[in-house]
Amino acid sequence: MNLSGKPKAPWKQGAFSLISIGVALLVICFVGSAVAAIMVAGLPDLWENLNTKEVHFSLMLSLVTAGISSALVLLLALPTAYALTRTRMPFKRLSEILLELTMSLPYILLGLALLIVFSSPFGKWLKSHGFRVVFSPMGIIMAHLLVNLPYAIRLVRDAFEGADSRLEFIAQTLGAGPFQTFATVLLPGCRVELVSTLILVWSRAMGEFGATLMLVGITRMKTETLPGSIYLNITTGNNEAAMSTAVLILGISALAQVLSHFAGRRKKDELR
Amino acid sequence: METLEIQNFSVRRGNFTLGPLSFSVRKNEIFAILGYTGSGKTILLESICGLFPGDTGAVLYDGVEVSQIPVGQRGLGIVSQDHCLFPHMRVEDNISYGLRCHHVPKQQRERRVDALLELLNITHIRRQYPATLSGGERQRTALARALALEPELLVLDEPFSALDPATRSRLQQELLSIHRKFPCTIVFVTHDFNEAELLADRVGILLDGELLAVTKGSELMKEHYCKKIETFLGR
Repeated sequence: MNLSGKPKAPWKQGAFSLISIGVALLVICFVGSAVAAIMVAGLPDLWENLNTKEVHFSLMLSLVTAGISSALVLLLALPTAYALTRTRMPFKRLSEILLELTMSLPYILLGLALLIVFSSPFGKWLKSHGFRVVFSPMGIIMAHLLVNLPYAIRLVRDAFEGADSRLEFIAQTLGAGPFQTFATVLLPGCRVELVSTLILVWSRAMGEFGATLMLVGITRMKTETLPGSIYLNITTGNNEAAMSTAVLILGISALAQVLSHFAGRRKKDELR
Repeated sequence: METLEIQNFSVRRGNFTLGPLSFSVRKNEIFAILGYTGSGKTILLESICGLFPGDTGAVLYDGVEVSQIPVGQRGLGIVSQDHCLFPHMRVEDNISYGLRCHHVPKQQRERRVDALLELLNITHIRRQYPATLSGGERQRTALARALALEPELLVLDEPFSALDPATRSRLQQELLSIHRKFPCTIVFVTHDFNEAELLADRVGILLDGELLAVTKGSELMKEHYCKKIETFLGR
C-alpha cells in the first residue's frame, strides 16, 4: 500500500547518501593530504633524524610532561564536572561561562596570561619556595593544564550528563554514599568516555605549542618538547628532521587511538 | 516502616499537574496505583521514593517527611520499568551491591546472593551482564537486587508490563510467594486492572493526575465508580 502517493525515484533515495559520501571523501582527502605530506617528507632518513640526543630528550620531556599534566587534568576535571552536574554549587552558571570563555582564547594568549601570573610577586614568592614555573619544565605542565582543563571538564561534564542518574539514586537506596556511588556507578558507567577524554587530553598535550612557547620558551635540551623541536628544526632550515619528528608524533597518536578503540570495544561487548 | 502517608501532595511537571492527593499504605500491604499511561503514576512513585520534591504536601514514612531521611536509610527497594541494572556489573554483583555497601561479610553475602538467585530461578545467569539477559531475567535480577537488603518498602514501576503473558503470570505468582516469605510493604504501579486485582490488597485509581478512588483489590471490578473510571475499566 502506498500512503505517500507517488513513489520516490530510486536515484532520489540514494542521492543524499552519494552526496554525503562524496563530501566525506573530499574532507578525508584534504585532511589526509597533511598526513601524507608529513609521511613523504619525514619517512626518508627517519631513523637518522630521530636517533639524536635532542629528539630523545624532547620525546622524554613531552611524554613525561604530557603524562603528568593529563593525569592532573583528569583528577581535577572529575570533581569539577561532578560538582557542575550533580551538586548545587554556587555560581554554577558563571563557572560554566568562564570555562567556555577560556576555550575561545588563543593558546599563546593563555601562555602570556600564565607568564604574567608567574612573573608577579605571587609567582616570585612561589619561585622562592622552590616552585619554579617560568622557563622550566614545570611551566610546560602548567601550560598543558590551562589549555586542557576546560576541554576535559566539558567532555567529562557531557559524559556525566549523559549518564542515567536513576542508577545513582538506586545505588544510594542500596546504601551507597555519594563517593561510593560516584566511584562504583557513575565512573564505571562513563569509563569509555573518560578513557577517550584522557587520550584526547594527552594527545593535545603532546602537540601543545603556543602556551608552552610563551611561558617557558624553547631552549635546546632544556625546555624542548616535540612540537618545540619541530619549531626549532624549521627555524634552522632542517625541514626533514622536523617532518621526521612529526611522524613520531603521528605514531604516538595512532597508538593512543588504538588503545581508545579497544577500550570502547570492551564496553560494547558488555552492553551487547 | 509502619505506614506510608501521602498528605495533600501535588507536583507540577510542565503542563501536567499531579494531585493534590492523599492516601496511606499500611505495613506489609500490597498497594497498586492503577491508571493509564500518562496519568502520573511514575511521577507519584518517584515522589514516594523521594527522588523529586513535591510542590505542596508531604510524603511521610512513619510520620517523618521523606526528604528528612537519608536515601540509604529509607528502607527502599526499587524495581523500575526498565530495571535500571548496573550495566557494568554481572548479575551476582548487581544483587550483592547493597550488601557490599553495608559491609556484610563475604560469606554471609554469598549465601544471601545464592538464596536470592535460587528463589528467583536465575542461578544459571549469575555470571552474565544485564545486556545479555531477556526481559524476564532482568526483571528477576532487579527484584533480587531490591530484595537483598530486605527492604521495608518495595516500589515497583510497571514491573511486568514488558513481559510476555506466560512470564508475566509466572512472575506475578512469584511476587506473591516472595511477599509471603518476606513480608514488606509493596507499592506498585500498573495500567493493567487484572494485575491490580490479582496482586493488590488495595488499589488507588489515578487518572489525569487525580486519585479518583481507593478500593480493595478483590472488589476492584465489583464496585461502581464515576464515569471516568467506568470508561477506563471498559464498562
